[in-house]
Amino acid sequence: MGRPELKGDIEIRSRQHWIDHFFEGWSVFWENPLGKIGVVLLGIFALMAVCSFVPPLIHPMYHPMTGVDPDIYSSVGPSVRHWLGTDFMGRDIFSQLLAGARVAFMVGVSAAFMSIFLGTAFGMIAGYMGGFVDTLLMRLADVIMVLPTLLVVLILASLFGQLNIWTIVLIIALFRWPGVSRVIRSQTLTLKQRPFIEAARVAGASHMRIIFRHIMPNVLPLAFLYMTFRVTAAIIIEAALAFLGFGDPGTVSWGMMLQWVWKTGHMFKALYWLLPPGICISLITLSFYMIGRAMDEVLDPRLRKEEAAR
Amino acid sequence: MKEEAGHPFLSFDSVSKFYFSRGRILGGRGRQVVALNRLTLDIRKGEIFGLVGESGSGKTTAGRLIVRLEDADRGSILVEGQDITHLRGRRLKDFRRRIQMIFQDPYQSLNPQLSVFDTVSEPLLIHRKGDRLSRREMVLNALQSVGLSPPEDFVHRFPHQMSGGQRQRVAIARAMVLGPDFVVADEPTSMLDASISAQIFNILLEMQKNLGITLLFITHSLAAARYLCDRIAVIYRGNLMELGSADDVIQRPRHPYTQALIDALPKFGQCGEAARFNTFLKAERESSATIGCAFFGRCSIANRILCSQEVPPLKTVSPGRQVACFFAQEQGKNLPASKTCYYGI
Amino acid sequence: MALLEVEDLSIGYRTRLGLHRAVEGVSFSLEEGKSLGFVGESGCGKTTVGMALMGLLPRNGIILRGSVLFEGRDILAISEEELRLLRWKKISMIFQAAMNALNPVKRVADQVAEAILAHTRSVSRAEASRQVEGLFQLVGVPKNRMRDYPHQYSGGMKQRAIIAMALACKPRLIIADEPTTALDVIVQDQILQETRLLQEQLGISIIFISHDISIVADVCHDIGIMYAGELVEYGNRNELFNSPAHPYTRALLSSFPTLTGNREMLKPIAGEPPNLLNPPRGCRFCARCPEASEECDSFSPQWIELSPRHKVRCVRFRRKEGQQ
Repeated sequence: MGRPELKGDIEIRSRQHWIDHFFEGWSVFWENPLGKIGVVLLGIFALMAVCSFVPPLIHPMYHPMTGVDPDIYSSVGPSVRHWLGTDFMGRDIFSQLLAGARVAFMVGVSAAFMSIFLGTAFGMIAGYMGGFVDTLLMRLADVIMVLPTLLVVLILASLFGQLNIWTIVLIIALFRWPGVSRVIRSQTLTLKQRPFIEAARVAGASHMRIIFRHIMPNVLPLAFLYMTFRVTAAIIIEAALAFLGFGDPGTVSWGMMLQWVWKTGHMFKALYWLLPPGICISLITLSFYMIGRAMDEVLDPRLRKEEAAR
Repeated sequence: MKEEAGHPFLSFDSVSKFYFSRGRILGGRGRQVVALNRLTLDIRKGEIFGLVGESGSGKTTAGRLIVRLEDADRGSILVEGQDITHLRGRRLKDFRRRIQMIFQDPYQSLNPQLSVFDTVSEPLLIHRKGDRLSRREMVLNALQSVGLSPPEDFVHRFPHQMSGGQRQRVAIARAMVLGPDFVVADEPTSMLDASISAQIFNILLEMQKNLGITLLFITHSLAAARYLCDRIAVIYRGNLMELGSADDVIQRPRHPYTQALIDALPKFGQCGEAARFNTFLKAERESSATIGCAFFGRCSIANRILCSQEVPPLKTVSPGRQVACFFAQEQGKNLPASKTCYYGI
Repeated sequence: MALLEVEDLSIGYRTRLGLHRAVEGVSFSLEEGKSLGFVGESGCGKTTVGMALMGLLPRNGIILRGSVLFEGRDILAISEEELRLLRWKKISMIFQAAMNALNPVKRVADQVAEAILAHTRSVSRAEASRQVEGLFQLVGVPKNRMRDYPHQYSGGMKQRAIIAMALACKPRLIIADEPTTALDVIVQDQILQETRLLQEQLGISIIFISHDISIVADVCHDIGIMYAGELVEYGNRNELFNSPAHPYTRALLSSFPTLTGNREMLKPIAGEPPNLLNPPRGCRFCARCPEASEECDSFSPQWIELSPRHKVRCVRFRRKEGQQ
């Protein structure tokens, strides 16, 4: 039979389907005002993070950590030279704010990614294997879930001294997977009963194959949804740690900036210094939250249908 | 007919399966429900064997036991003389290469995230059959043979982009792509429109003819069973009631339950009331779940003493024809041979 | 005057991709005490017709043309309030999903009683539950099951309760949409017998919708065959089965396996129904029709009366008449 050669064709077409799928989801997402505001806000923060590399290039005094204006020895208000003013030792607040955006993304996304990775893996294994493995993993999750993250990090910090920013990320990740794993586990339990999983078993598929080929693609959207909420949590925890003085002293985060305001006694005297990092923390967490909510609607067709019927 | 040619390919040897309904909060196991009660039957090589029953009759359980989605509590299932009820690991995987299943609900049995190509090629990947190119050729051929043509139009589709009938064809292609010896088709058309069902039936018939597959067709529909099957078995609450060649069982039913099933089919055309057997009791009679005939509670011809106390043995009433009823010989009525009376499915 | 007269009913659904023309120019009439069945594949518009008669179209469904006269009143034109009064009291519906729509924490009998109380103000609670008792007896639910909850009922029993609920306000018309699809044959047979009996005893008109021609044939006096949103053949049960005229009807019948006669190869209908976002100009069955001619492609066929109680929409028949 002279069948046309279409080696790459099949793959290309199925990729096209993913693109279609993405755009369809995107249009539902974009119709949602929450999603729209969230994306715009997030875009602004991303732009800030990218621009954080620019000020030190203009002049060394704009370096967020080490750059000090040679003419200024205390905190002054906004001026043409320093758009948002300077801190107690003459560092530019605006460039600190930009650098803080970069750190927030770094901490938020990497901690969330790691906790989602752990949560999804443990959730799928617990749900699929059941029995002893399930009990063991879920009891572990329960134990971790009831431990107050902040308190544990504070204790660790007081034991080991100042924590590196990556250590903080790792700790947040280790403490924030149980919630996700519970959701993924219950999703896996319902998937496990579906005939297509049985069909794969009848075909002779191994457990690994069933987990990664059949269950994972069906739980990943949910995992990504939870990731947006975890980003929010991670940013808040890092900010709280930094504000309490347990942050990484070598990194300029928004929480760090707040701590400097407080420590140097400028709390209510220099609003130009206090407000920008505060507002930024609130807005970035809000934007991730709104994106999560809008994504929820894309992923949950039942919710969408009810909306339409109303 | 294939009757004399076939020796048993697969045999149920007194197979029982129990389920336990959920117990009280603290009380361990709950009430025992018998899904299959000492089922014994042979399926011959190369035939289409029909297992007919209502929901809860254990027919689906029988199919799931064969493909080892569940394990029998008692008895054994033999495939070409080899006991498959305790296979594990490597040998189970090799066994699965030979035995496949088509599921009831095509909306549930395909992974929504996988394209047709990925779905159909999966068994080939699992059993490491062929290389990239030959696998694609096998998938396209399988799709072609289930009537999805041109197959190039379908390989990239996802389940939600296809109709129920098309999905079920993909599921059939997945079951057939490895070239199995035996396929269990569990009510493959019960979720589909009557007009689509005929397409699926014909595909199954053709596959069986071309590939020499032995097929177990599980259904609630006597008409579908008659159309497809060489032999059928009627089961009720896990008990084998009647077994024989499809035409014989349906046109000359001897068990009151089979007769009740035929009575219940919607009829149209010129039928007349004479066609009824009236063996089904409208009001259920008190009966024990463990002793006596399983159909006693609903049987209008039952003998109160005999049928409630003793399980009727499977008797051979004519060559190749077995009936589990004390009164099988007396039930001499046949189905009218009128061609203008249509029965529903 | 017929109880229900539907004239040129056309219904569309607004979708992302455009107007889905689900029902096109459907006309029929139903006499008091008669039953009418609609048969067709899924997506042929039979359920949409039923929904429209109840005024229960989904929000994106729009009536494009036509009128529905019930007792001489156009129910497409009346207000939502009047429609609500009409529903249950005059027209009620039994559908497949209703079985699972029973409230699990209330007694089945109480739910039926509530349906009565909600629609007839003059009835007391005691009177209502007495009526329920009568209804349950009518549909064959034993008296000792009155105090049971839905989970204690089997599927067939639930469906009987649903029928009792539909009968509660003594409607003149019942629309039954696939009422037995999820049930076993024996239970289905009992329900169908019950339906037939009730219909004869109480003189209620029934519209019966199913994809299974045999079920409809079992219950209904008249049958309408629908394909891709259009009615293609309509007639008295016996005439329709004795001399099926439309190629689609014949194809539908020949795709049925039978219990009697010789085992013949079934001839399934090849292909898929047309896309109703952009329906074909001519006969909608044209692309799948084994007897299609060039004419069918461009020409939408008109109704041809084969007898006073049997009509068909197919160009083949006009030609035949011309020849004779």
